[in-house]
Amino acid sequence: MAETSVIDFSKLNWIDPPVMGRQDLRDLKKGIDGTFREFTRANGEWIEAIFDPIKWMLVWIEKFLLATPWPLFLIAVAALAYLGSRSWKLSLGSVLAFMVIGWLDMWEDTMATMSMVTVSTLLCIAIGIPIGIWMSRSDRVQSAVVPVLDIMQTIPSFVYLIPVVMLLGIGKAPALLAVLVYAIPPIVRLTNLGIRLVDNEVLEAADAFGASRKERLWGVQFPLALPNIFAGVNQTIMMSLAMVVIAGMIGAGGLGTPVLRAINNQYLALGVFNGMAIVVIAIIFDRVSQAYGKRLQKHREGGHGV
Amino acid sequence: MKKFVTRLAAAAAGLTMMSSAAHAECGEVVMAEWNWASGELMANVDAFILEHGYGCDVSLIPGATTTTFASMNEKGQPDVAGELWINAVREPLFAAMDEGRLFSAVSGPITGLGEGWWVTPSFKEAHPELDTVVKILDHPEMFPDSEDSTKGAFVGCPSGWGCQLVNANLFRAFDMEAKGWKLVDPGSAAGLDGSIAKAATRNENWLGYYWSPTAMIGKYNLQLIPFGVPFGGAENWNGCIVKPEQECADPQPSSWTESEVHTVITADFKKRGGVAVEYLEKRIFPGDVMNGMLVFMADEQAGGADAAIEFLRNNGDLWKSWVSADAAAKISAAL
Repeated sequence: MAETSVIDFSKLNWIDPPVMGRQDLRDLKKGIDGTFREFTRANGEWIEAIFDPIKWMLVWIEKFLLATPWPLFLIAVAALAYLGSRSWKLSLGSVLAFMVIGWLDMWEDTMATMSMVTVSTLLCIAIGIPIGIWMSRSDRVQSAVVPVLDIMQTIPSFVYLIPVVMLLGIGKAPALLAVLVYAIPPIVRLTNLGIRLVDNEVLEAADAFGASRKERLWGVQFPLALPNIFAGVNQTIMMSLAMVVIAGMIGAGGLGTPVLRAINNQYLALGVFNGMAIVVIAIIFDRVSQAYGKRLQKHREGGHGV
Repeated sequence: MKKFVTRLAAAAAGLTMMSSAAHAECGEVVMAEWNWASGELMANVDAFILEHGYGCDVSLIPGATTTTFASMNEKGQPDVAGELWINAVREPLFAAMDEGRLFSAVSGPITGLGEGWWVTPSFKEAHPELDTVVKILDHPEMFPDSEDSTKGAFVGCPSGWGCQLVNANLFRAFDMEAKGWKLVDPGSAAGLDGSIAKAATRNENWLGYYWSPTAMIGKYNLQLIPFGVPFGGAENWNGCIVKPEQECADPQPSSWTESEVHTVITADFKKRGGVAVEYLEKRIFPGDVMNGMLVFMADEQAGGADAAIEFLRNNGDLWKSWVSADAAAKISAAL
């Protein structure tokens, strides 16, 4: 019967490509779903337990940010912005931006999103840079990791979120996972690229001076790769914020939830305000981290002849 | 040669007249294809019947209750909303109907509908004494929220669904925050279904909103819990519970209103729809047939189009009563 064949010969023609028999295709899909459901039933508990510490960290940071009195928060923002960038313009801009966010009644959602972005950026850097360094050392590792990164960046989020929600439920944990999957690839790729792009002659010079492999990595390659690495950090932050709406779609809260409400009910102003809040957070995080990165690379500043 | 050209011209004229006659019967129809299973099935069954039985030119556009209703109300597009759950849009809908911009082709296109708050069957078995919502609300500790285990989680509706406002207001009316509950926004239909799937598969307790007929109810055998309070009156419901928070200062506890579903059509379509309108007026799905189809859709992972064909193949007596005899013949031939 055509319904149960690997190729449905009854439908074979030159226009439509060969297709699996209908019943076989359905059985295949049902088989995969059934297997996954069994897996969830058997292993859900311990998988959820792995994410518990991250979940508590997210909840704790959010509660902490919400409990901080707002003047204190603004002073902290100004201080961090100044420490990072040494630019009073940027610090003032950040403070003003947060005051407007609070004034337009977006404070709580913003704090939730900030907690998510902070944790995800830190995790992305902590996981991504080592992988990038590892990739830069070996071409084989690179060719193994690059397809994985491609998948992570292009697969539609809900495709892997369906099983993740079945394992972890809705809320902050699956949302963080979604953000991590989307936001790690830029920093991995750019760390790898940055280290590989370091001039061979400089490396030879380092070897000539008797640097060990570790000294070469941390003393020469890493500092010279910093522009690329910071470009990676910038992209990671942008991609985390791009996932804010998807995070809202699986119940994580934050600025994505009002954006979804705006989309679903056609509230233009609500959408624009919350969208701009997301943009503002992105710009502040980005400018501060970029300025910090530039200061780390002071050694490159010109006027030294070569 | 001249004879041939004349004959050719006559044939061409004849064909164009025939096709325009067929189209003059029906023409173009734009239907809303809802983003839930029964709505999807209904839209696809309607599309198949109208296309093959009556030669209409049907296009389906995806949508949700509030957005599609707003579009029909303001712009007159789409022409047909097959399964409009009107509780959330009752006032604006009746206003539009009074003004003659929108019409109800049939009320109750599915029998045996219900909305409300549901729990997993394992909870009902374990706690038969907690048989009304009011009693369950005293025990938030049985439904710990995954992010804040001191509170009970009540899962509401995603945005864009009329029930989001209703659940938020009932949450206030029943004083749930003071009793230690948290209103969880699942974010999307996928989030709501995912949270039910997770709770049911892992035998955890779950309390939240859902409606029937749906595949989720069928698949996980969720149990509807009566509210334990009588219906609080139409004024409380229509004037407050279905409205956004700023327009509802003092919601009163109430059981869920009778769910009313209508097939709504625009005035323009009523004028030019012809046979399509007559068909829509007759088409009513019995609840158990719909439930059966939804379980089929879930088990076989069938989309609306496949399920429509399965429905038409297996329920000949039912749908033939909705269409004219020759349309029925054409549809059977196309299956």
